[in-house]
Amino acid sequence: MKINNLTKEEVLQNLVTSENGLTEEEAKKRLSEFGLNEIEEAKKTSLFIRFLKQFTHFLAILLWIGAGLAILSEILHPGEGMLTLGLAIIGVIFINAVFTFVQEYRAEKSIEKLRLLLPFYVKVIREGIEKELQAREIVPGDLIILSEGNKVPADSRLIDTTYLMLNNASLTGESEPMPAQHKPCEGEIIESRNIAFAGTTVVSGSGKAIVFATGMGTEFGRIAHLTSAVESGLSPLQKEIVKATRIIAFLSTVMGVLFFFIGHLIGIGFWENFIFAIGIIIANVPEGLLPTVTLSLAMGSQRMAKKRALIKTLTSVETLGSVTVICTDKTGTLTQNRMEVERIWTIDNQQSTIDKLLKIACLCNNARFINGEYKGDPTEVALLRYARENIGDIKSERMHEIPFDSERKRMTTVNKILDTPSLYAFTKGAMESLLPLCSQILVNGEKLPMDDASRKKTMDAYHSLMDKGLRVLSFAYRALEKGLDSSLEKDMTFVGLIGIEDPPRPEVSDAIEKCHDAGIKVIMITGDASRTAVAIAKEIGLIKGNPVVVEGHEFVSMHDKELREKLTEKEIIFSRMTPKHKMRVVSILKEEGQRVAVTGDGVNDAPALKNADIGIAMGIAGTDVAKEASDMILLDDNFATIVNAIEEGRAVYENIRKFISYIFSSNIPEIVPYLAYILFRIPLPLTIIQILAVDLGTDMLPALALGAEKPTEGIMKQPPRDPKERLLNFKLLTRAYLFLGPIEAAAGLFGFFYILKSGGWQWGDVLAANNLLYMQATTACLTAIIVTQVANVFACRSFREPVLKIGFFSNKLIFIGIAFEILLQIFIVYHPWGNMIFATAPISFNIWLILIPFAIFLFIAEEIRKVFLHQIYHT
Amino acid sequence: MYKKILSAVNEHINSEIAARYALNLAKACKAKLYLCFIAEKDTSPTSIEMAENAIKRLFIMAREMDIKVESITATGDPLKEIEKIVKHEAIDIAFAATKREDIEKRFYAGTFARRLSLNLSCSVALVRVVHIGRLHPNKLLVPLKGGDGHIKERAHFIAKMAEGFESKVFVFHATKPITKFFHGEIHITPLEWEKRLPENIAEFMRHLKKHKIEYEGKLLPGAVARSITIEAASKRHDLIIMGASERSLLSSILKGNPVEAVLREAPCDLIIFKPYNENK
Repeated sequence: MKINNLTKEEVLQNLVTSENGLTEEEAKKRLSEFGLNEIEEAKKTSLFIRFLKQFTHFLAILLWIGAGLAILSEILHPGEGMLTLGLAIIGVIFINAVFTFVQEYRAEKSIEKLRLLLPFYVKVIREGIEKELQAREIVPGDLIILSEGNKVPADSRLIDTTYLMLNNASLTGESEPMPAQHKPCEGEIIESRNIAFAGTTVVSGSGKAIVFATGMGTEFGRIAHLTSAVESGLSPLQKEIVKATRIIAFLSTVMGVLFFFIGHLIGIGFWENFIFAIGIIIANVPEGLLPTVTLSLAMGSQRMAKKRALIKTLTSVETLGSVTVICTDKTGTLTQNRMEVERIWTIDNQQSTIDKLLKIACLCNNARFINGEYKGDPTEVALLRYARENIGDIKSERMHEIPFDSERKRMTTVNKILDTPSLYAFTKGAMESLLPLCSQILVNGEKLPMDDASRKKTMDAYHSLMDKGLRVLSFAYRALEKGLDSSLEKDMTFVGLIGIEDPPRPEVSDAIEKCHDAGIKVIMITGDASRTAVAIAKEIGLIKGNPVVVEGHEFVSMHDKELREKLTEKEIIFSRMTPKHKMRVVSILKEEGQRVAVTGDGVNDAPALKNADIGIAMGIAGTDVAKEASDMILLDDNFATIVNAIEEGRAVYENIRKFISYIFSSNIPEIVPYLAYILFRIPLPLTIIQILAVDLGTDMLPALALGAEKPTEGIMKQPPRDPKERLLNFKLLTRAYLFLGPIEAAAGLFGFFYILKSGGWQWGDVLAANNLLYMQATTACLTAIIVTQVANVFACRSFREPVLKIGFFSNKLIFIGIAFEILLQIFIVYHPWGNMIFATAPISFNIWLILIPFAIFLFIAEEIRKVFLHQIYHT
Repeated sequence: MYKKILSAVNEHINSEIAARYALNLAKACKAKLYLCFIAEKDTSPTSIEMAENAIKRLFIMAREMDIKVESITATGDPLKEIEKIVKHEAIDIAFAATKREDIEKRFYAGTFARRLSLNLSCSVALVRVVHIGRLHPNKLLVPLKGGDGHIKERAHFIAKMAEGFESKVFVFHATKPITKFFHGEIHITPLEWEKRLPENIAEFMRHLKKHKIEYEGKLLPGAVARSITIEAASKRHDLIIMGASERSLLSSILKGNPVEAVLREAPCDLIIFKPYNENK
């Protein structure tokens, strides 16, 4: 027993109210019990707390400890420059926190947009008196009055209606208004015609209804809850960064502690040893990684915007690249939503019957031709245009209409054709809805009984048109000799069928093929009939064999387990579906470990859009709520744009790995000087501040330029990234730490010792921190790292392809990055401010020249490695 | 198991809705229902009249459902009076509605509902009414946690509620995701999760099977309360029945309390079921 099944009296009894409405006292009690009729956002971690969390993860804690100890050291041993170091580390923590927060931040406005769909005031009857109240004060049991233009404030059971028509578009996406009634109905509440849902609109007529759910208890509240409660969680890239930072933090701590004890054993003093331990940690931590990743994602989102895909959350840029399944709508996304009449079928193929068919198509139609323009629903416009072009305008007067609704799947109009005496009922609709109403069929101008043979012929024609991918409508009429009566849709005469084509977008076939090549599964979710969906899917190359087709009614009764199995099929189509079903498909796919992108445009698409890894809203056809709930907005509603964005997303991930390789290479020349310092008792070749100059200064722009590399040729020929694949994998670390890094370290130490030796330094001599020779030597070490990093940026442009193959000048940003890097180094080496901040001293130009062969060596060695690897790969 | 069921009724509609759940259980258990209204000293005549009307309506419903029913009206402290009735009539289970103001307090500390659940010498079902339009719940969501005890009684209660409403039971277990320090969260498919189903939940399902109740099981990693409300909203469940999570104040502050969170965000009616002797 549901509220829609009850009679008016039973409704009043169950909701403990009356036809006079609630008393004010009872309403007050209910208000205190059920709360205000408002849409609330699910409780979430506040922005401030989310920001604070960036300071409390494992790496941040490690850095806080480092900073704390450095400041303590300054207090105990002033004058060692430890305060500057402590502040620099705190600066690093803040920079990383801000950039991580920027990545995660997303303005959430979907609930605000939902609230706008509810009314502010409502007419209500309380104690038998009609009153106007704020909609938020409505309580369950209230008797509300609905009239034309009103928005429904809460879920209510209709108890009295007069030609009431409701538009449920905000809830169901169905743009046609639906006639409402107050009699008991069978079936589910959500599909009931005696229920007025919050957020829907009264198009015409009037009625009275008893409120049975308010605020978050309504269907609208349910959508709001699902939209705001579903938390996106960390993106694949964020998860990888967390893992990477944990590994780095762990390694740095182990190295710091281990060498601290070694230092202690070989007799190095505590504070000296302590500086060393901090230095090891700082050298290991890639301080510039998070800012570079964030800026690179921002650049990626700019490139996507140029391709008509607007990204709302930065991390979505990369998540797109990892997508394994796309659940897409058909109409408007895969097709053009430009309906055209493609085929006409009548049983006799006579012109007179065709004319009759077109007459029905023209009159049983709500589209209009005004000022040389067709206006209305695309399907109706297609019918009207075709009819007008073939039989011209027909003068008639519409006497009555039973509008189309998704439950009846048909519409009927009663027309009086001018200059003829009789009235006609014209009906158009889905075959399964209309054929049972027909007892006759029009053949050569005669009404013949609809026998089995005619029925079979009609059904065969219907199937044949659907198999061509057409949306098929059937048409019938009845002469109303006795005028308007209650049996308008009885004993009708079947006239024929019209097949309407919604042509696929021309670029979709290629995009689908790209998806197949890239190992991405595409699932079509459409409201169309199965045969039409399958035919279109075949035409665009979405399916090649016999797909599994799940219809809406099967879907509803299917257990999760069964659906889970169906979803593992290679080719699957969901037909006769409504948007509310999408969330379930997305949830199951996600539970199975897929990374899911889903398209949507309606209010009730919002939960699915929010739940998916990538929610994609339609920029043209989409509602504000859908756009707010999504991660990406398609400015052209085109499926091909999604695929372009995925390609860009994959390129972004690949580029992130490239610049990680670049950034990590410079860790070795930062670590090795410390090891040499502690193991060989030499002056420290590189100070902590100089390490930060590389990580947060000179490396930044070249790394960003690597983030702008174009997608490599085969990027959409590879399967989606394996979720188990690590961002910091063994290959990447080996290349950076054991191949490129050591060359840079050798260059750094060479520069350092070259200066020292030239200045007369002898092994074992101790040099003060402000000694000019020492400062020049550390400057040479730093310069060597910069010079070799210039070569490294070219080396890191590709993992396998030689630079000459991908085009030496194909990424102009690289040259801007290098120019910045060199200018910054010149500032550090030659400007007094640079000298003061980074404890450097000017060195002669000769030193730069001496270091260049190391850079050339690094570049050539890497190119040889690539050629060698290329050959192995192709063999 | 339940031969005598008590439901506390007052002037608020939520108590009447709670009593309807008690009526349903009484029907399924062929038990006797006691409807009690305890008027406090300062209760207004209008409130008394409203409560009496509610009892009258419930009486009519009980008669239509062929349930033995008795009403008890008294004055005094509601908790003490109900305690007396429970002892005197040897009540097996008591139903009471929670108020909206209760859920705004931390684990409704000091509330009437809380004191009832702690002091009564019988099992207690606290009903949070959210949606008075769902008159006949078809889909019952039953979240269970790994350590839940009194499985036999829980299963009996759920089975009888389901039997009364001819509804389907959806057993739901939200568990902590599996994480490793260097690998982060490990993804496990529902099929793999099923193999990790805690024994008490498996036992609960076996009991449901014995009672011939149609059920489905689901196990998912995630934040407990949020997972429950999302599951209830997305699958349009009509009623959630869950256990009372007795966490210490400190533990509730540090880790949160799932029951509190579900009470606040439940998209449908919620019954918090506490078997007798659970915490003794």
